Amino acid sequence: MADLEIRDLHVRTEDREILRGVDLEINRGEIHALMGPNGSGKSTLANTLLGHPSYEITEGSISFKGEDITEAEPHERAKAGLFLAFQYPVSIPGVSVANFLRMAINAKREEPIQVKEFRNQLQHAVELLDVDRSFTSRHLNDGFSGGEKKRAEILQMAMLAPDIAILDETDSGLDIDALRTVAEGVQRLHDEQGLGALIITHYQRILHYVEPEFVHILMDGRIVLEGGVELVERLEREGYDQIRQEVGAGAAGDSSV
Amino acid sequence: MTRSARRLARARPVTAVSEPGNAPVAAPSGNGAAPAKVKAGRHREATLYQALAGAGAGDGRSLEQLRADARVAFQALEPPVWRRSGFWTTSLQSLSPDLLSEQRQAPDAGATAGVPEVVRRTLPDRPRAGRIVQSADAVVQLDLDPALAEQGVILCSLEEAFREHGELVAPWYSRRLTIDRHKLEAANAAFWRGGAFLYVPPGLVVEAPFEIVYAIDRPGVAQYGRTLVLGGATSEFRVHEYDLAEDFDGQALHAGAFELYLQDGARCRLAQFQDWGSGEVFDVSTRFVGVGRDAYCHWLPALLGGHLVRQHLELAVMEPGGDMAFRGLLFTEEQEHLDVFAVDLHETGPSGGDVHWRGAATGESRASFEGLIQINPGAQQTHTYLQFHSMMLSPKARIDAIPSVLVSADDVSASHGGTVGELDETAIFYMQSRGLDRPAAVRVIVEGFFEPLVAELQDEALEELVRAKVASKLAAASEDIEAYATSR
Repeated sequence: MADLEIRDLHVRTEDREILRGVDLEINRGEIHALMGPNGSGKSTLANTLLGHPSYEITEGSISFKGEDITEAEPHERAKAGLFLAFQYPVSIPGVSVANFLRMAINAKREEPIQVKEFRNQLQHAVELLDVDRSFTSRHLNDGFSGGEKKRAEILQMAMLAPDIAILDETDSGLDIDALRTVAEGVQRLHDEQGLGALIITHYQRILHYVEPEFVHILMDGRIVLEGGVELVERLEREGYDQIRQEVGAGAAGDSSV
Repeated sequence: MTRSARRLARARPVTAVSEPGNAPVAAPSGNGAAPAKVKAGRHREATLYQALAGAGAGDGRSLEQLRADARVAFQALEPPVWRRSGFWTTSLQSLSPDLLSEQRQAPDAGATAGVPEVVRRTLPDRPRAGRIVQSADAVVQLDLDPALAEQGVILCSLEEAFREHGELVAPWYSRRLTIDRHKLEAANAAFWRGGAFLYVPPGLVVEAPFEIVYAIDRPGVAQYGRTLVLGGATSEFRVHEYDLAEDFDGQALHAGAFELYLQDGARCRLAQFQDWGSGEVFDVSTRFVGVGRDAYCHWLPALLGGHLVRQHLELAVMEPGGDMAFRGLLFTEEQEHLDVFAVDLHETGPSGGDVHWRGAATGESRASFEGLIQINPGAQQTHTYLQFHSMMLSPKARIDAIPSVLVSADDVSASHGGTVGELDETAIFYMQSRGLDRPAAVRVIVEGFFEPLVAELQDEALEELVRAKVASKLAAASEDIEAYATSR
């Protein structure tokens, strides 16, 4: 059984069905890419996996490390070892990055983390992400640039050491330097800690820096094509429209894209 | 945003800000203004406002004469009601008349000599310059660092200060406070006992705080707090006031009068921690801070609990070059009622001001913050800003913010701003996705909301006390907050 198993997942928001039967398996140590055009349901999947209250699961299930987490609270999923790097990280005024991280780490532990241990981990993560040390005393995402927010997401990921991380369009809006830093951070966490990742993206850019073993293409709420890294190259050559025509029926009928 | 050089007529002087239809004010006001008739519910307090122009030293009355005059005013006045704009009323209707009867004002026979438990429990164990504790109407603890006493610092009851240091106290006592604007102010001026006096001599720098504590240990107490603080030229010091009560069943009254004057170049950080507990404590207080030439005051009241609290707070730059930071936070719960009138007063220029308050409310509590910037004629080159931010945590709670700007000089900048907020569900989900449960996420948001002000206390022990109180209020209201959040 895979670490993260998504079975026949159907999800709707208030007025429409967005995911229409998604199946996906992700293990620790595997890097997956989920690609798809705008509106295909990529962010819905990311948010649903962490239990966002605005998305309703109407059919199917999510299990993580053998436990059914379909109905679990978001913080329970996080404690179990799931992580979501947000497409639009939220600013939390009045709380420093370091203090927030300490709270998040302690939420997963019985005993609060020792000051020294925390400081060492933070130092390591700061170097990994190539950010200034003063970064961690700033209020979380408050007044951060787009690139700083994304770095802060990866910094949190490094500190919380999840088993599986979902990166929701972490590459969007990043300049090439920030993109490289973020991507290398993900790669190193994979190499050093055995992180499993689901990299959700619209573009191919980030996949030049982190090489996925598995590539899934999501269209109109279903995974329509799966393969290895060669799919990325094909997508680069042909574009989504070509693939849509090819898979035909799966994507037909709903032109909400 | 900045309304430079805005000219407005000076506010109409009014003596009593009490309910129309009351008996006319018997004693003439200390500043000589005639009582004016004001129709109910038609005005903001700002338009009724006048600076506290003095009742004591200004006209040379002795303490005895002031007490006698205040008593006449007390007898003539009805309990006050504050109304504004028809939607807000602070009334003492529910206060037992017995607490305001004159017989009640005799020395308190039921007083116990000890320091109330709530004081031992609440005050942080930390280095201090000195401490004076008043319980009911008696000073029950007084200590002062002997080294500071040797350097000329005085900390004692105000009664003792009149006896021992009359020449120092008399010119400043009630220099700006009035004695007859309303019945409780008059009661304070007529009947206060104990009190606190702090004098920091010129040039002295004291790092640890002076603690002034008013405590109510049981129901039925009518406490009249009276504090006078004098900061000599270029002195630097901190004052922490604590207003505390045990959790009891029944009513008690605290009517406070506080004044602090800073001489040339003095610097003071003044903080107030108010938590009157779960009993029915009524607190109607007036506080005045006067900033002298090139002096600076950072003033931060933390109003964190009281059945019905009415605070008239004035921070005035009285001499050129004075500067101030006027901060405040308030957090009401359950049925609490809090009414703050805060004045950022500039009597001369150049001067600086910066008013920044934050408030949150849970349960069915009500809070009103009226902030007034007043720049007097001739106070040129004054620059000031007033902001108030609020956060609603319950559908039945309410916070009103009423900013006003009265400017009578043309080379100034004065403006105001504010926000009204609720819990941000996106932020809560974000934090949950990091492993915090929902109550923890809510706490982070609310504590983060207050944190910019809490951090300005620049005093770890006091900061922790305020944070802990905010956290305990949130915990107590967690079901209410949850129900509100999920209903939206």
